Amino acid sequence: MSPNEWIALSMIGGFLILMLIGIPVAISLAVAGFVAGLAGFGPLLFSLMPARLYGVVTNYTLLAIPLFVFMGVMLEKSRVAEDMLETIGRAMGGVNGGMGIAIILVGVLMGASTGIVGATVVTVGMLTLPTLLRRGYHPGVASATICASGTLGQIIPPSLVLILLSEILGESVGTLFAAAFVPGLAIAVIYIVYLLVLGWWKPELVPAIPKEERAAAGGMKELLRDLARSVIPPLMLVFAVLGSILGGVAAPTEAASMGALGSLVIALLARRLDFPMLKACLHSTLTITAMVYFILLCAQPFSLAFRGLGGENMVHDLFNLLPGGELGALIFLMVILFVLGFFLEWIEISYIALPMFLPVFIGYGTDMVWLGVLVAMNLQMSFLTPPFGWALFFLKGVAPPEVTTRHLYLGVLPFVGLQAMAVVLLFCFPGLATWLPDAIGW
Amino acid sequence: MLHVIHCLEGIIERLGIIARYSLLALVVLVASNVLLRYFFSISPVPLQEFEWHLISPIALLGISYALKHRADVRVDVFYDRFSPKGRALVDLLGALMTIAIAIGTAIAWLGLSYTEQSYQLMEGSPDPGGLPYRYLLKAFIPIGFAALALQGVADCLRALLTLTNRMPDASSTTSSNTKVPS
Amino acid sequence: APAIVRAESSKTYQWKMTNAYGPGSPFYVEGPGSPTDFCRKVEAMSGGRMKIQHFAAGELIPALEGFNAVASGVVEMNAGNAYFWAGKIPAAQYFTTVPFGMNTQGMNAWLYHGGGLELWHELYAPKGLIAFPMGNTGVQMTGWFRKPINTVEDLKGLKMRIPGLAGKVYAELGVAVRLLPGGEIFPALERGVIDAAEFVGPYQDRRLGLQKAAKYYYTTGWHEPTNVTELMINKAAWESLPEDLQAIVKAAAQACNVESQAWCESVNAEALNDLVENEGVTAQPLPDSVVARLKEVTEKTLTDMAAADPDTARVHESFMAFRDQHKEWAAVSEKTFLAL
Ligand code: NA
Ligand code: NA
Repeated sequence: MSPNEWIALSMIGGFLILMLIGIPVAISLAVAGFVAGLAGFGPLLFSLMPARLYGVVTNYTLLAIPLFVFMGVMLEKSRVAEDMLETIGRAMGGVNGGMGIAIILVGVLMGASTGIVGATVVTVGMLTLPTLLRRGYHPGVASATICASGTLGQIIPPSLVLILLSEILGESVGTLFAAAFVPGLAIAVIYIVYLLVLGWWKPELVPAIPKEERAAAGGMKELLRDLARSVIPPLMLVFAVLGSILGGVAAPTEAASMGALGSLVIALLARRLDFPMLKACLHSTLTITAMVYFILLCAQPFSLAFRGLGGENMVHDLFNLLPGGELGALIFLMVILFVLGFFLEWIEISYIALPMFLPVFIGYGTDMVWLGVLVAMNLQMSFLTPPFGWALFFLKGVAPPEVTTRHLYLGVLPFVGLQAMAVVLLFCFPGLATWLPDAIGW
Repeated sequence: MLHVIHCLEGIIERLGIIARYSLLALVVLVASNVLLRYFFSISPVPLQEFEWHLISPIALLGISYALKHRADVRVDVFYDRFSPKGRALVDLLGALMTIAIAIGTAIAWLGLSYTEQSYQLMEGSPDPGGLPYRYLLKAFIPIGFAALALQGVADCLRALLTLTNRMPDASSTTSSNTKVPS
Repeated sequence: APAIVRAESSKTYQWKMTNAYGPGSPFYVEGPGSPTDFCRKVEAMSGGRMKIQHFAAGELIPALEGFNAVASGVVEMNAGNAYFWAGKIPAAQYFTTVPFGMNTQGMNAWLYHGGGLELWHELYAPKGLIAFPMGNTGVQMTGWFRKPINTVEDLKGLKMRIPGLAGKVYAELGVAVRLLPGGEIFPALERGVIDAAEFVGPYQDRRLGLQKAAKYYYTTGWHEPTNVTELMINKAAWESLPEDLQAIVKAAAQACNVESQAWCESVNAEALNDLVENEGVTAQPLPDSVVARLKEVTEKTLTDMAAADPDTARVHESFMAFRDQHKEWAAVSEKTFLAL
């Protein structure tokens, strides 16, 4: 290995150590990146920094983050979300894990309206985590469910990952959207089955709302009334976002604003909108949005140094050592993407790993649509994987203090396992991805 | 020393006000652009550009604000088991690194030259009818990171006070930061 | 003496090139005559004495940051289009394409032999830059429309994705101009958020899947009758190159200029036939009345632009003088042939 490759490895090691002793994640990333980059190149490489930082803060697609966070905070402050989850819990009756399932469904709906994991995770986390904890859910299970639910947006179209992959793979965006549809829903179903099994096997981790309390809240009539009152407004918001895309009112990114506007209207109708409340809402939205941007900005020196130090050559050399033809190459690609996902952002991974390996697969005549969905699912999994999963960090940013990193890390492992299972399934049955685009002619 | 801390954080809080109102403006602006286009087929280029222009103050003035309100993300697997002194030590290290990163980023390279280059070119939007003065937008990078350095100094002083047992009230390290400004 | 010459010329140059387009984009990044092909050509022609490492958009810097990176010397070269820098150098528009200007033959004639390249260099020199044409898409398409355009009235209230100068012209005719990144064009057009979208030409558009979202494909390339790929080079770095390497860079850029356009011609021909025969696309020119109105507004827009900036005025004058002269020749030669 060249000296620079050693520096690249030390950079990753240094970052993990800083992060683990409790230095803020963003600062750990930036420090590791700056030090390694300076050691490997001197200051020249970092004169590219301003352009990269400017690129982050002028990225149009990321505009959806503050808008969705605003919607989430508004719903939280107007206590609409809390009512919704409680009512769904009641509606699920004696089924343990019911509220968890509700969260997966919310993730599917939000995923269908956006592809921004950070936005979905913080929004759903803020809205639902306190209620779940109060209801006796295990902190690990509760927060992991939210993270898993939040990453569904990566694979359920419309999705940023798929848009970028379509560009890299040379397939149309529409084809990839159609191809990801069935696998995306399949993962959601797998999560739901898992929660049902967990509820049956260890009900104390995901308890249903007690029978007495359900009875005290009234019968079927009251339940229906409460459902209408509490579930309809947030559901309408999701439909405002989704509907404005499907109805041709708004492009995917700007659709988030319909949700944000809707949440203002709901708060107004619920007579909870006043100046102090708006101010508090802006405060929370700003801190959460800035937290996400802090990490995105500080990831820039890190990924720049990784690239500049020849990190991609390291990956490439490994690839060349590999036996096993197409199958071997595919399995290796999946492993490499997964490992890179530990410490690089998915955009970097798509830029670094894919363009490098693509010629190999073009040579084998691999189905690019199938490959694209496999890659997207793999990246989604890496979002969830400890110690460095973006979804985990984003949730940590909004979780109450009693939810520790340890809770998150342990709770999310089963979901990572399920996700890996889904990747294997798609690997064995490519039809899951290729059937729909063929059937509808996209 | 407490006085210095409050002074520095007062600056961060004021910059935060700009960021908060940029956020409100963003929500209103994007929604208006969508509705204006859908109902009236009106879609001015400057207003569309203004959408993503607002991200700069939100993100760059927001990072020091988030740090002040302890909204940054950290892994607490070991941190939680450290003694208060040990945590203060990690905080001190983190704060020193924040200052280094912020100063390194803001001043040494980009700060001035990147913005200056844009100013000398009188850079505007490449789209005819787009917004002028792009250097104002770029100026948020040095301003944002300079503010981050100030917050790093405040955090540094606070950690030093804790380490030397001169922090008047242990809770003041966190409680003052988590409450919503009134 | 021969040994000394070899020692002198064995110095190798390791350069970096950034690109305004994302990884894998055909023509803009990959393919015959593309920027990556340019880097390979230079390396082969120089016998390995000049190696250029290519970085697609986002790999090193974001898409449109090449100007700053090259001007400050952090990277030596950038591939893109001059009109991306119109916010910094208003006249840069003319070195990519001019609405109702000249086609690729005329553009190349103006650049290489009509004083165009000299003007380009003159304008870029104060910024520490030099540039050469390095590719061409040929004529681009008006775009994809969900409904047919029969009169100028049909443009009023139309929501269209169209960036740049053409966007300003359409806006004058009542079009609601929407700026959208490439990836969002398909979902927006498919759902009717926009009624029309301009992208590149049949081959690239088909890759984006636009034929699934709209069926009326208008072919009058009034807004981009040609489209020059720009090779931008840091001037100090350029001057540090020995003469033979400078000649190699120039020759490789010229080779790519020819080869990329020839490649576009061939793949666009195939793609257009496929779109019409297998995808139910209607390909047709805009009605004459619409073209006439667009032309009127374009002329006024260009004149206003030239009046606002003395440099632009000079380039405008040179370009238009050449166009008017070239038009006569084109009419008796190419036009006559194409009418056969
Ligand atoms: Na999605
Ligand atoms: Na990960």
